[in-house]
Amino acid sequence: MSNAMKFLVVDDFSTMRRIVKNCLQELGYTDITEADDGNTALPLLKNGAFEFLITDWNMPGMPGLELLKAVRSDAKLSKLPVLMLTAEAKREQIIEAAQAGVSGYVIKPFTAVTLKEKIDKILASKAAA
Amino acid sequence: MAPAETSNALLRDRYGSLIAALQGAVDANDDTAFRGAFDKLRESLSAEFMPELKRLTASAESALARFRERARIDALADQEVPDARKRLAHVVQLTDEAAHRTLDLVEKSGPLVEQQAREAAELLEAWSVYGDREYAANSLWPERTLSFLERSLTDADRVRSLLSEMLMAQGYQDITGQIIRSVISLVGEIEDVLGQLVALSNGEDTRRMPTLRVPAADQKSMQSGLGPQIPGVSSPGEAVSGQDDIDALLASMAGGG
Repeated sequence: MSNAMKFLVVDDFSTMRRIVKNCLQELGYTDITEADDGNTALPLLKNGAFEFLITDWNMPGMPGLELLKAVRSDAKLSKLPVLMLTAEAKREQIIEAAQAGVSGYVIKPFTAVTLKEKIDKILASKAAA
Repeated sequence: MAPAETSNALLRDRYGSLIAALQGAVDANDDTAFRGAFDKLRESLSAEFMPELKRLTASAESALARFRERARIDALADQEVPDARKRLAHVVQLTDEAAHRTLDLVEKSGPLVEQQAREAAELLEAWSVYGDREYAANSLWPERTLSFLERSLTDADRVRSLLSEMLMAQGYQDITGQIIRSVISLVGEIEDVLGQLVALSNGEDTRRMPTLRVPAADQKSMQSGLGPQIPGVSSPGEAVSGQDDIDALLASMAGGG
């Protein structure tokens, strides 16, 4: 099964980007681009016709929450599905991410099953909208 | 007149007669006069230098107090260094667990692959013994091969799943990397504090020293990220217990509009 949906994976740790990329490939997604923080991700998003963003929170440069807010405030990107994949675990933070319009939130360490479930759920609700 | 000469002249005026009296008592071998002249000289020296000594002590004390305030030295000693030890101990635990998990998965995969290789070799060897396709087709070889292919399919799925678990086990590097980075920041701050302590002991003015750079762990912003939870290390706010807790929280928010 192959799916041409265009993913951007943002994390400052290259090991984590590889893990997510491998998980996505196992799920059949083959078009995956990587960025190491919000500052490098945002120009890619603005020029790249991405259909799904998976981002870490705690990154040097622009953190994931700021990237999420930038995406939601950009007319062209505002509807982009954004999955937060992070070790940040405070209720206050999760509430803030939700209020900023995050589409899903997965806590690290995570399982491939959880990642698949959240991606499927986001895409299902996007299709229903 | 040069400043040194002025200073010498003042000292001579102030102490010349006292020292002469002391010298006179020594020359006359007069113990009472010697004791009297010595006490006068000592009182005079104390009166001149004690205020300066007190001022220097007070100045050193206030420099030290300023330094303590700027360097957060109490917080470093009482909380952050002990916390850093807990953070590093947690890193040791996570790397240990991840390494064992990976090794367990390798040990589970190895026999499956070895079994496949052994059976494939046996089938190939049998085929070479038969030599004649028609004869082989009438033997047990096709059945054995079919059974091998079915098992291979199941084993390949199992190995693929084990490889996927190995992949996920490498996620420890992100978590431990974040923890180690926070400890590196702390060590950087301690390096600065030690540098300033050395400067302070050399009599440099702490007011001219740069402000120490790293914010306290509990001042790190939730907006930029606090990093992973560490057992036994407190941080601001209430943490969720896991993915289910997050899902419930998000569902309750969606439900509440």
